[in-house]
Amino acid sequence: MKFWFTRTAIWLLAVFAASQLVHADTLQRIKQDGVLKWGADAEGGAPYVFPDPNQPDHLIGFEVEIADALSKKLGVRAQMVQNQWDALVPALQRGNFDIVLNGLEITDEHRAQIAMSVPYYVYSQQIITKKDNDSLTNMASLKGHAVGTLSGTVAQRLLDQAGGVDVRVYPGQVEPFRDLNNGRIDAVMLDLPIAVYYLTKEPNLKRSGEPFAPGYYGVGIRKEDETLLLTLNKAIAELQGDGTLEKIYRKWNLWDKNQLLISDYKPKQVAQQKVFSSWRNWRTYLPLLLKSALVTIELSLLGMTLAILLGLALALVRLYGIPPLRWLTIAYIEGIRGTPLLIQLYLIYYGLPTVGIYLNAFVAAVLGLGLNYAAYEAENYRAGIQAIPRGQMEAALSLGMGRWLALRTIIIPQAIRIVIPPVTNDFIALFKDSSLVSVITMVELTKEYGLLALTTYDFIGLGLMTAAIYFVLSYPISILARHLERKLHYDRR
Amino acid sequence: MIAVEQLTKSFGRHSVLRGISMTQPKGEATVIIGPSGCGKSTFLRCLNQLETIDSGQVTVAGISFNEKPTDHDTQHKLRLRAGMVFQSFNLFPHLTVMQNITIAPVRVNGETQESAEVKARELLKKVGLLERADFYPSQLSGGQQQRAAIARALAMQPEVMLFDEPTSALDPELRGEVLRVMRELAEEGMTMLVVTHEMNFARAVADWVLFFDDGLIAEDGTPEQVFNEPRKERTREFLRQFTQ
Repeated sequence: MKFWFTRTAIWLLAVFAASQLVHADTLQRIKQDGVLKWGADAEGGAPYVFPDPNQPDHLIGFEVEIADALSKKLGVRAQMVQNQWDALVPALQRGNFDIVLNGLEITDEHRAQIAMSVPYYVYSQQIITKKDNDSLTNMASLKGHAVGTLSGTVAQRLLDQAGGVDVRVYPGQVEPFRDLNNGRIDAVMLDLPIAVYYLTKEPNLKRSGEPFAPGYYGVGIRKEDETLLLTLNKAIAELQGDGTLEKIYRKWNLWDKNQLLISDYKPKQVAQQKVFSSWRNWRTYLPLLLKSALVTIELSLLGMTLAILLGLALALVRLYGIPPLRWLTIAYIEGIRGTPLLIQLYLIYYGLPTVGIYLNAFVAAVLGLGLNYAAYEAENYRAGIQAIPRGQMEAALSLGMGRWLALRTIIIPQAIRIVIPPVTNDFIALFKDSSLVSVITMVELTKEYGLLALTTYDFIGLGLMTAAIYFVLSYPISILARHLERKLHYDRR
Repeated sequence: MIAVEQLTKSFGRHSVLRGISMTQPKGEATVIIGPSGCGKSTFLRCLNQLETIDSGQVTVAGISFNEKPTDHDTQHKLRLRAGMVFQSFNLFPHLTVMQNITIAPVRVNGETQESAEVKARELLKKVGLLERADFYPSQLSGGQQQRAAIARALAMQPEVMLFDEPTSALDPELRGEVLRVMRELAEEGMTMLVVTHEMNFARAVADWVLFFDDGLIAEDGTPEQVFNEPRKERTREFLRQFTQ
């Protein structure tokens, strides 16, 4: 017993010491575990890191090879941790992985949040257009055109700063090429490696103009991990010196003379950015959030209107329609309810063009929300109508009313009161679900929050502001519903 | 006014009406009595096509039909000519008494709201509810609700009134006011077919009494004959419950 106690105590001490070690030095822990965890986004991540088409459970890409080479220098094995690209920095800060190695540009914004290694690659911006378009060859020529790019990239910032460009922000890198082919946008501007890789698969697209605005990719490291930073800087320099990097880039067709710029790199000191800065700068951020809140309101109102009208039609057909129509509505309702809204939005926006239907993002978003919620509304109305006693319809019919007149004047007015609470619920839910439409390039309130948060890294301040806007907008719906319910409460003595 | 020949109706395997034949002249009140489940309510609901029939020939106020589907126009006419009063009143709870009465004349017959209201007031006076015109059904007692429902049916000026156990859902002390209204209607010469358990009402008001048993008319005759000298043992047995 005593022996057991001593052993436990020693073990606990060891664990405690080990946990101190983690805080003290990530490098030592990496060596101890024999694993370097690197964060990256393999979803649409070619040619950086992506699933091998021939062997989808296996990741390939030039950064996979760099991660392996770096790990080898440290004497450990590399392990990739999947993380959404535009949230890699906060995830690193949370400790989800040891480093970020995924086309992370060395910018002041990034260096204010985390430490950046010396560069391992010099990227440039590349404009891509359809083969028959020769006019869009530089930044200046993009003015007045719809240009797609990746959310949270340097390219996005450049486009935003240029002014006069209709910037469409995509969460992944496959979709902008698809929309360029569809003609929804006129050009795509992205980091050169992405352009090089995807153009091999897009016979109708071409690089338009020379690459420009070179910048550096570096490895992201937590600020406190100074020894890790020094070790990685040394390792990168060695990989560059012995030609390993060049070999990797040549293999992936990414080598260009810009790579020689790496030796010109001079790290600058950057002041730590204050968290909660957005509170002090609310005059700047709040109007931006409110403007995108308008988009959210428009989407919700139009989406809900569509959902209510279509839902009522579906409910009536399901209850009173002839059998084949009834089966169709049941299939629709179950099909829609049984599949995620996100997939439906993708199908409407990216899927329909394959059958020749091109909807702009706003129409697709309203349609997606409306068609989805119509299924839920239909079931609300069906329940409401069925809750009305049968005798009501019989009494109306026996007075010589037709079925439709009876529904309109007797059944539906009574059902409305019953369905107000669930419909209110759905409206509030739709209001918040409208944030999903950011996947089809709509910049609404949540997307605007994401964009601002990723440039300022103030997730808390902006997050509270955004949440407050949602609340201020949705709470009145509840109040209005309660008021309506009371007003229609005819059977209270 | 009503003629029925060999009417049958079943719900699934359960045969509810097994061959009903009867006639009712204009201006008379016929009362249908019988034990629960004998098919008397179903019979009434078949007459204005709230239920379809399986076979037989029915004529109500000049509209004839059989088991074949009826076109909308005929059905509409049938329901205009045959008013119905339900056991559970079935007033429209979201409308006032006045609106309950005027909605069909206005929306179905195209009367103006004003003229419909003038007529509705007369009807409300007749059933003793003039001062309740602007009340909602939930603000009325059961007896008042049923009287309002009678006024609602009368507003469509039917040629025949079908009463489906109009007092069964009411407390005994509230039944009198409804029966009084019905009695006045009968005395004015309204053609009425009444399903009821009110034997005193049947005795006093009916011109003819039908005793339904197990989907058939077991016995019929004048109230004096059926109540005082029932021919069938089954009828005697049924009536005995009410004389204790």
